[in-house]
Amino acid sequence: MGETPLPAGILIMLRSLAAFLLMSTAAFADTADGEALKAMSWDQILEEARGDTVNWFMWGGADNINQYVSDYIGGILKAEYDITLNRVSIADTVDVVNIVLTEKEAGVTDAGTVDLIWINGENFRSMKQADLVFCGYTDALPNNALVNWGNPAIANDFGVPVDGCEVPWNTAQFAFAYDSALVAEPPRSMADLLDWIKTNPGRFTYPAPPDFTGSAFVRHVFLYAAGGADALLGLFDQAKFDVAAAKTWAILNEIEPFLWREGQTYPNTVVQMNELFANGEVAFTFNYDPAQFGLAVQAGTYPDTTRSFGLNDGTIGNTNYTLIPFNSPNKAAAMVVQNLLLSGEAQLEKAKPEVWGAAPAIEISRTSDTVQAGFAAIEGHPSVVPAEELAKAALPELQADWLTAIEAGWRASVGN
Amino acid sequence: MTERTRIILMLAPAFLLLGGVFFSALGLTLLRSFRYMPVIGLTEPDLAAYATILASPGFLGSLGLSLWIAAVSTLTSAGLALAAALLLRQTFPGRRLIGFLFQLNLTVPHVVGAIGILYLFSQSGAFARLAYAGGLIGGPAEFPALVHDPFAVGIILQYVWKEVPFIGLILLANMQAIGEDHEATARSLGATRWQAFTHVLLPMLMPGLIAASALVFAFAFGAYEIPLLLGANAPEALPVLAYRSYTDVDLAARPEAMAMAMIIALIGGAMVLVYARFARPMGRGRHAG
Amino acid sequence: MRGNALRLFAGLALALWLVLPLVPLAIWSVAHGWRFPDLLPQQWSGNAWAYAFSPGSGVLESLGLTVFIATATTVLAALVGVPAGRALGLHEFRGKGIVTLILIAPAIVPGIAVALGLHGVFLRLGLTGTVGGVILAHLIPVIPYMTLIMASVFSSFDTDVEAQARSLGARPVQVFIHVTLPAILPGLMTGALFAFLVSWSQYLLTLSIGGGRVQTLPLTLFTFATSGRNDVTGAIAILYILPGVLILLFTARHLTGRNQSLAARVGA
Repeated sequence: MGETPLPAGILIMLRSLAAFLLMSTAAFADTADGEALKAMSWDQILEEARGDTVNWFMWGGADNINQYVSDYIGGILKAEYDITLNRVSIADTVDVVNIVLTEKEAGVTDAGTVDLIWINGENFRSMKQADLVFCGYTDALPNNALVNWGNPAIANDFGVPVDGCEVPWNTAQFAFAYDSALVAEPPRSMADLLDWIKTNPGRFTYPAPPDFTGSAFVRHVFLYAAGGADALLGLFDQAKFDVAAAKTWAILNEIEPFLWREGQTYPNTVVQMNELFANGEVAFTFNYDPAQFGLAVQAGTYPDTTRSFGLNDGTIGNTNYTLIPFNSPNKAAAMVVQNLLLSGEAQLEKAKPEVWGAAPAIEISRTSDTVQAGFAAIEGHPSVVPAEELAKAALPELQADWLTAIEAGWRASVGN
Repeated sequence: MTERTRIILMLAPAFLLLGGVFFSALGLTLLRSFRYMPVIGLTEPDLAAYATILASPGFLGSLGLSLWIAAVSTLTSAGLALAAALLLRQTFPGRRLIGFLFQLNLTVPHVVGAIGILYLFSQSGAFARLAYAGGLIGGPAEFPALVHDPFAVGIILQYVWKEVPFIGLILLANMQAIGEDHEATARSLGATRWQAFTHVLLPMLMPGLIAASALVFAFAFGAYEIPLLLGANAPEALPVLAYRSYTDVDLAARPEAMAMAMIIALIGGAMVLVYARFARPMGRGRHAG
Repeated sequence: MRGNALRLFAGLALALWLVLPLVPLAIWSVAHGWRFPDLLPQQWSGNAWAYAFSPGSGVLESLGLTVFIATATTVLAALVGVPAGRALGLHEFRGKGIVTLILIAPAIVPGIAVALGLHGVFLRLGLTGTVGGVILAHLIPVIPYMTLIMASVFSSFDTDVEAQARSLGARPVQVFIHVTLPAILPGLMTGALFAFLVSWSQYLLTLSIGGGRVQTLPLTLFTFATSGRNDVTGAIAILYILPGVLILLFTARHLTGRNQSLAARVGA
C-alpha cells in the first residue's frame, strides 16, 4: 500500500491557510473612536483620514450613479485627500442595517465592515433605535454650513429627527411618469387618477408594500383619504389611523379589479413595475426620485416620449442621507467623504441630467457664484418634471410608525 | 504507520475543515433555533420558534411551495433527462454538438439561467413577442403569467433547464458502464424494444437516476437566488422566507429563521440518505455503506 | 428513416432549449432599449459593455476576485480532497459508510441551512466580510465533490506502480509527483473543474459571509438584474459564463474518453 501522499502538503496548507485568514482579519481600528474625532479640528481630521479606505455601502443598480460615485467622487478623494473609496453595491439597504446590527450583537464595536451608508426612512429609524449610528459630529464638516437645517424636511428623516446622525445628500419628490405617445393627457389629481384607473382596466398597478415606492403610493392614497396631511403629522395616533385606513382600504379594494392582472397579484418591486411600464403593459410608473425617469430614457429603457408630473393635491417629498455606523473603523475618512458630497461642486455635478439629475440637498444661494451660475445653466431632462414645479404642491412624509401601520394594514386588508 | 493511522491521517483534513465550518454552523443554528442565546439572556432552550412557524400560514405556504417546486422540477428533469440520454445514446447528426451543449450548460451559473428564463418567459419577454408577432395575443396581458406566478412555473423551468443536462450526463455515463449487452440478450430472447428498456435497462439505471434526483431535489428545495428572481411576492419560497427573517431588523425573528434553516437542513439530510442509499458504492467492488 | 428524422428533430429541439435562455442575454448586452413588441432591438449600443469594462464600475475587479476565490477554493479543496478521496477509494474500513455520509452531506444540504449559523460563527472569528472567510465558506459544498470524484478516481488506481517506484528507491514526494499525480491527473482535472464551478456560482454563501464587501460577479450581476438594467445585466452575464466555457474548452481533452462527463463522476 502507498505512503500517505500529502502529509507535508497538508501541514503547509493548514499553515498558509491560518496565515491567510489572520492577514485578512487585520482590521485594526484607526479612527473608530468617534469621540476623539469630535475634539479635533477639521485639518486634524483630514490628516487622520489620509491613506484610509472608506467602504461605502449603497444601492448599486444605476450605472450613472455608480459612475458618479466611483469616478467623480472617488477620483477627487484619491487625488486631493489620499482616500480610497470602495463603493459596495447592494441590492437592498436593509441588508446593511442587518450587517451592523449583527456586528453589534456579536460585540464588534470598533472594526465594523461598513463605513458609510446611503440611507433614509425606515432603515434610518431602525439604526437609530438600535443605537447603531455615529452621531453629533455633523457640525465639524465645513460644508455643513451649506445645509439649511431650519428646513423640517431636512432636519427630519421620515419624521425621525436627524439629530446630527446623518448628512443630507439629495432631496427628492415623488412623481408619476407616462408615455405621452400613449396617454395624451394624464390625470392630474388623485381623484382623477382613481377615475382613470377604473375607465382603463388593466393599465395601472403599484408595487406591493413594503416595497419602498409601492408603500409611498399607498401613503398618497392614505393622505387623500384622510383629507390631507395636516391632521396626521406628529406621533402615531391609532384613532386617526383607523378612520383614514378604513377609507384607504375601501378605495384600494375598489380599484383592485381594474388593476394589472385584475389585482390578483402586484409587482414585487418598483423594478418590476418599471419593466411593465417600459413594455407598455401599464400606462404609469412612479418614483421617489424623478431623475430616474431621465436616466431610464437615456439608457433606452423608457421611450423618448416619456414625461412626468406631480399631482395637484401634492406629492410626498423626502431627503436621503449618508450615515456613518457606530463601529466604522474609518470615521475620519468617512466624514471627509460626506463633506465632499455636500460641496457645491459635487452637488452641481450630480444635478446635471446627463450625470444623474438629482436635486441638491444644500441651499444653492449659499454656494459660490460659479456654482450658482452652474446650477442656473442646467437644462433639465425633458422627461423629468422640474423640482420647482413639483415643489409647488409638496406633502410632508409621515412618521415611520405610520408607515409601519399602513404597510401592515395593506397586507391584511388589500394585498391578501 | 499502520493502515488505520494512514486512513485517519488522510481523512483528517477534510473532516477538520468540514467539521469546523459545516457542522459547527449547523450546531449553532440548532442551538439558536431552540432560542438558546446566552448573549442576549436566553438561557432556557425551548421549542417556541418551531411552534410559532408551524402555526404560521406564511411558513406553511412557503414550505408547501418549496416542496412543490422541488418535486415538480425533479420529476420533470428526471423524465426529460432519461429521454435525452436515450436519444444521445444513439448516433444521429449533431449528437456531438448536443453532447457539448450539455456540458456547456453545466458551466452556466443558475443565476444566469434564471435571468435568461425571465427574459424569455415574462409577459413581455421573447415568447410573448413571438406570440404577438404571430397574432396569437393582442398584448402582454394575454400571455400566460409564467414568471412571478403562483405556480412557480418560471422557477421550475429554470431548474429543468439546468438539471436535465446534469441528470442526463449521469445517466449517459451509467449507460456507458452498463453497455448494450443486457438489452441485446433480452432482445434475442424475444423482448420488444420497450420491454428491453423497461425490464432491463431502466431497472439498472434506476439507482443512478434516484441518486441524481436526490441531489436535484435538495438543490431545488433549498436554492435562494432563483426564487428571489423568478418567484411571486406571496408565498415566498422557504429559503427566501428564512433569509428574510434572518435579516429582519427585529431580532426576535432570528430564532424562527434558524428553525426554518433546521427544517431545510432536515429535508436536505433526508436527501443525503437517499443519495447514499442509491449512489454507486465507492471503493473496490464492495458496497460502502 | 422516420426514426432518424424524429431523432434529428428531438436533437434540434434539445439543442435549441439548451442555448435559448442565453440568447436574450447576449442581445440585451448590445441593445439600447428593447421594448415590447420588438423582436429585435431598434437601436444597438456598446454602452453596457463600455460600462462593464470601465474601471469605475468594478465589474472587472469583481471578475478577478471571483476567479481568485474559485481558484483558491479549488486548490484548497484538492489538497484536502485528494487524500480523503484516496482513503475512500482505496481502502475498506469500519465506519466507512458513516464517514462517506459525513463527507457528502455538506454538498447536498442546501447552503441556506448553514449560511445563517455560519455567519454567527464567522462573525465571532472576525471572518465575515473577508475574502478568506468566503473561501472557507465555499469549501463546504466544494470539498465533498472533490472527495467523491477523487474517491472514484482512486477506486480504479493501481497502487502496484507506486510500490514499484518505491522499491526502485524513489522518495514519497517523488513517487507522488512522478507516479501518482500523472495517473490521477485527468480525474483531478475533472474534480478541479467541478470545484471551480461550484465556487464560481455561489451566491448566498458569498452574500451572507462576505456581507457585500466581497463583491463577486454573481452579486454584481444580481444588483443589476434587480434594478432593471437589462443591458448591463446581459453584458455581466456573458462575462460571467465566459470563464466556465473557456475552462471547459481547455479541459475538454482531459474529459474525453472514459471519463467523458464531469457530472458522471458525482452522480452514481
